[in-house]
Amino acid sequence: MSGDPPASPGTTSPSWPPTPATAPPGVDPPPGAFPAPGTLGPEPTAPDVSTPAPLPPGALPPGHRPASAADQRAPDLPPPGLLPPEPGALLTAAPGGRGPLEPWPDTVHWQPISTDLIWVELIRLAIVVAIGLAVTGVGWAFSGHWLFGLAVAVVLVLGAWRAVAIVRAVRAWGYAERENDLLVRHGLLVRRLSIVPYSRMQFVDVSAGPLERAFDLATVQLHTAAAASDARVPGLRPAEASRLRDRLTALGEDRAEGL
Amino acid sequence: MLHGAKSLVVVIAGLSWSTLSRVGFGWFAAMVAVLALGATVLSVISWYNTGYHVVGRELRVYEGLLWRRTRAIPLERLQAVEVVRPLLAQLTGLAELRLEVVGGGKTEAPLAYLGVADAAVLRERLLALAGRVAQQPAPGDAAAPVAPGATAPPAVVPGRPLHAVRNQSLLISQLLTPQAFLLPFGVAFVVVQFLTAGSWSFVAVASTLTAMAGVLLQPIRRVLDDWNFRLARDGGTLRVHNGLLETRAQTVPLERVQTVRATWPLLWRMKGWLRLRLEVAGYSVTEADDRNRPDRLLPVGDLPTATMIVAEVLPGVRLDALTLSPPPRRTRWLHPLGRAAFGAGLFERVFATRSGRLTRQLVIVPYARIQSVRVVQGPIQRRLGLATVHADTAGGSGATAQDRDLAEAWALAAELTARAHQARTQP
Repeated sequence: MSGDPPASPGTTSPSWPPTPATAPPGVDPPPGAFPAPGTLGPEPTAPDVSTPAPLPPGALPPGHRPASAADQRAPDLPPPGLLPPEPGALLTAAPGGRGPLEPWPDTVHWQPISTDLIWVELIRLAIVVAIGLAVTGVGWAFSGHWLFGLAVAVVLVLGAWRAVAIVRAVRAWGYAERENDLLVRHGLLVRRLSIVPYSRMQFVDVSAGPLERAFDLATVQLHTAAAASDARVPGLRPAEASRLRDRLTALGEDRAEGL
Repeated sequence: MLHGAKSLVVVIAGLSWSTLSRVGFGWFAAMVAVLALGATVLSVISWYNTGYHVVGRELRVYEGLLWRRTRAIPLERLQAVEVVRPLLAQLTGLAELRLEVVGGGKTEAPLAYLGVADAAVLRERLLALAGRVAQQPAPGDAAAPVAPGATAPPAVVPGRPLHAVRNQSLLISQLLTPQAFLLPFGVAFVVVQFLTAGSWSFVAVASTLTAMAGVLLQPIRRVLDDWNFRLARDGGTLRVHNGLLETRAQTVPLERVQTVRATWPLLWRMKGWLRLRLEVAGYSVTEADDRNRPDRLLPVGDLPTATMIVAEVLPGVRLDALTLSPPPRRTRWLHPLGRAAFGAGLFERVFATRSGRLTRQLVIVPYARIQSVRVVQGPIQRRLGLATVHADTAGGSGATAQDRDLAEAWALAAELTARAHQARTQP
């Protein structure tokens, strides 16, 4: 590790250049999905962020992080070009309209999943809500206690809230196939992005429950040797699912190693 | 179909005593018949819908009628193919083919109940297709624990000796665990209680002693396990030899090491001691018998020793010179106490993260062992512009860089994937 700092930037950065030159204009921004970091900066809860509110494109946070990061990682990181430029580049990408969950805009093209999954999830929710309503409603009808009425209301409110969440969550789900890895992002409250290299793939599952098949959908899940990595893409058309499956296994074989 | 029969027996057994007494015998027989019929129909359906075929270099297993699943396994990824014959299958002259894949955590794709000959033929065919016929050990098993006692006498460890832990420091280190440390207080408490109560029943004393033994068991077990701990390097493998009552010699190929974890327990800090553990692939996290896992690298030792050992295991990594950058200051809203303990750093061949205020932990993951990279951002983290980066490995939990600045987290994830890719392609 005490070795050659100059070697790495030359070899690693070209494959992945989030440079300011290519970053700025947002192509297909999903607006409102995510607050831009410019608005996050001077949060009252984060008083030590010294960036001014509207971050002009290309501007680095004045001397704040890049300097410290460079100082502390100097002996080991290839110093210039790794961490310091990226914050600027990524931050300039954000005011262009891209949410921060979409990094590396020049190399990643997110594919949305089918919006029919909304219906599948809504029907599932409706079943759960119906059961809840039946239980509480029967309780109310027989006992007449006001607490059961409250429970009915709670079930309804929770169901409505969950329905809104489902619609937004399905829209937030996306995947991207890059040259060497599969990217999957999902989640609204807790946002997750998984980067799984094809060469780490152990096997691929394509599954479809009865409800999913009624809407002509399927789920693809990529398994690696690590139990923690989750790369699951629901709501794909069967044709797309088998295409993805074939592509994943083919790429996995090409780049065979596994462990 | 035999699966159905097995579950049916269980169901009947469960039903029998409670129900038989309540309803008459006729009703009971009817219920059993209905259940048997239903189970048979279900298992026939599922049997008809389970299938496999080999497409190119890929095995596909289909199953399920309502919840359909297709599992595509590249044949290179098959770790082992076993022919298993449970009792029921033996009675009917059938066999079950089990396919071991790394990722599943459990045996994946059991092709249940083919004829014995069919199973053997299919096994041969799969292995031939997978390109390694029997003589090569599956890459999944990481270390081959040599049978205790069968190897060389304890004094001789093959290879170049690296380090031997002094039993005295081992004893002291286990005395400095919370269990041993708090024991006097516990004893005092119990004695005071007995004195005030004034009743010395045998049962009370015995149960107290049992409880104490339970508390003390872990440190004592560690002392017994790690007694005479010696570490040697033999070519590309590490040889670990330890144990007092049950001596154990383990061989760990270095290229199977997934992570190295250094732990500084709170009480050991006054001695400047730390503990090194490693995780190897092929042992699932939920492995029941964790005493046999080859995970000890150094039960107790000081920093120079640990640095030397880490340099042997991961060449080019200097444990004492890993400078990690802390997360941004606003992390203190999330972790007011732990913030100072967090840290992460990219090095030439490894990714290292640190965490834990009281029990400090440093996790080192070689880039070549990263299975996947995840970025997770909770709601509060989003308000603060933070994110957590995980680097997952095959054994254990991998490294976690807590609460990095969002932009830095993206850069970190990008850098980790790029470096992992580079490390894989040009080792």
